[in-house]
Amino acid sequence: MDIDDILREVDPASHGIPLETRDLQALTRLWVAERSAPELLNWPADGLFERVNSKIKSQIEKIEDMTGDMDPKTNFALIVIQTELERYKFLVRSYLRARIAKIDKYTLHYLSTEELRQRLSPTELAYATRHQALLHNHYLSSFLSSFPQRLQNLNDTAGNVSMIDSPDLDTAVFIRLLRDKDVFGRGTDVDTILPAASGDILILRWSSAKDLVEHGDAELV
Amino acid sequence: MALPLPQGLVPSEVAFLCEMELVTVVPRQRLESIELLSGSTPRLRPPHRADLPFWLAILLKKQRRANIVPPAWLHPDSLREIVTYETAIDVKDWAPPPPPPVRADGRGNSTRLNPYEDGVILSPPFLPSCTAAAPAGALPYHWFELAEMLLAHASDDIPSASEVRSLLRDLQEARAAKMRSKVTHPESHGEGVTSLRGVGAMELAESRGFVTGVAEGIRKIGASAETMRREEEEENGQDMDDDLSDDDMGL
Repeated sequence: MDIDDILREVDPASHGIPLETRDLQALTRLWVAERSAPELLNWPADGLFERVNSKIKSQIEKIEDMTGDMDPKTNFALIVIQTELERYKFLVRSYLRARIAKIDKYTLHYLSTEELRQRLSPTELAYATRHQALLHNHYLSSFLSSFPQRLQNLNDTAGNVSMIDSPDLDTAVFIRLLRDKDVFGRGTDVDTILPAASGDILILRWSSAKDLVEHGDAELV
Repeated sequence: MALPLPQGLVPSEVAFLCEMELVTVVPRQRLESIELLSGSTPRLRPPHRADLPFWLAILLKKQRRANIVPPAWLHPDSLREIVTYETAIDVKDWAPPPPPPVRADGRGNSTRLNPYEDGVILSPPFLPSCTAAAPAGALPYHWFELAEMLLAHASDDIPSASEVRSLLRDLQEARAAKMRSKVTHPESHGEGVTSLRGVGAMELAESRGFVTGVAEGIRKIGASAETMRREEEEENGQDMDDDLSDDDMGL
């Protein structure tokens, strides 16, 4: 570290956030949102996961290099790096598992329309399609084949009752506002418009909160 | 490998989030900067203070490599002030959250730290609300978890720890009662949006099931009334359109 680094650290004009903090904030926000939302959210399209995965990979390689020398000073640094790596991996893993839980629960719903299929990542789409096909084949071979042909489908919509379960979009969620905004929410007795400041925590239906979250005006907590 | 947890963060996940908060430490040993996935740590040179993620600060504290500087809002005087606010000044809402972080640019201007010029908005736990520079008299989002963990792992760094502990208990009880009354109060029923301004993360996590349960119950009981109301509103809206078009015809 030389004088330039020190000056840069205390320079009041440097407002930028480093890319690492940004990625961590984005990842954390995605994870919390996926854990709190009743339905599957969009897979991030900006290449965040490719970036995160390659960073985790290079960090693992670095640990492997460092394990070689047994200097006690770097040994402590190694502990810190490994702890942090585990925390990072936990975030990624928990995020993916929360998504798989939702896909497993409402597989046919998320596969039913092109718009919903867009929310899945390519791997998730492959998983969902193949898992669903396996499951249906298993049902067919164990009991469905003894039914009449027209009762063998799993996506029957006869009699205005759909066989496909879909998540309840009116579930109550907690959001934190990121910008000052008048929030509109549908209620049982009245629809309310509540002026709220950034940082406020609100409780409302997911169907009302969805637009705010997708536009980045609010985040789920 | 699907996640078996219920919808919404559970307390252990909230604690995990809280460990990402920045806290201020006073190092007791030199430590070179370490390159982490979330950015490089500052170089530690005693006795210069440095801001570190809370999990790393606890690790250093356990190994006696650093002392943690508790945030100003954890001082007994500040806590006493908040307890007074919660119990005597405003008995319905929570004490207001800390003001949004601002910084000086060295030319006499102060600018709000959030949102940044390129549109990135940081939110807890990435806002510096638990460092030594955080203001007193307001509880940040992760106040309860941070205070508990500090008391558990670094109680010798906190001035008058036992007093802080008892004040925290008072605060927690006063605020939990507010959460219950807020959710079960008849006037908040049936409205679309309810504000929980000033609530903490752990308080949300522990009453999440209760709160969403009440909201769901009310929605299901009032579902048929709501459908009727919406139909009526739609009809009224159409009538108004009809009236308007009649007027147009008349003109």
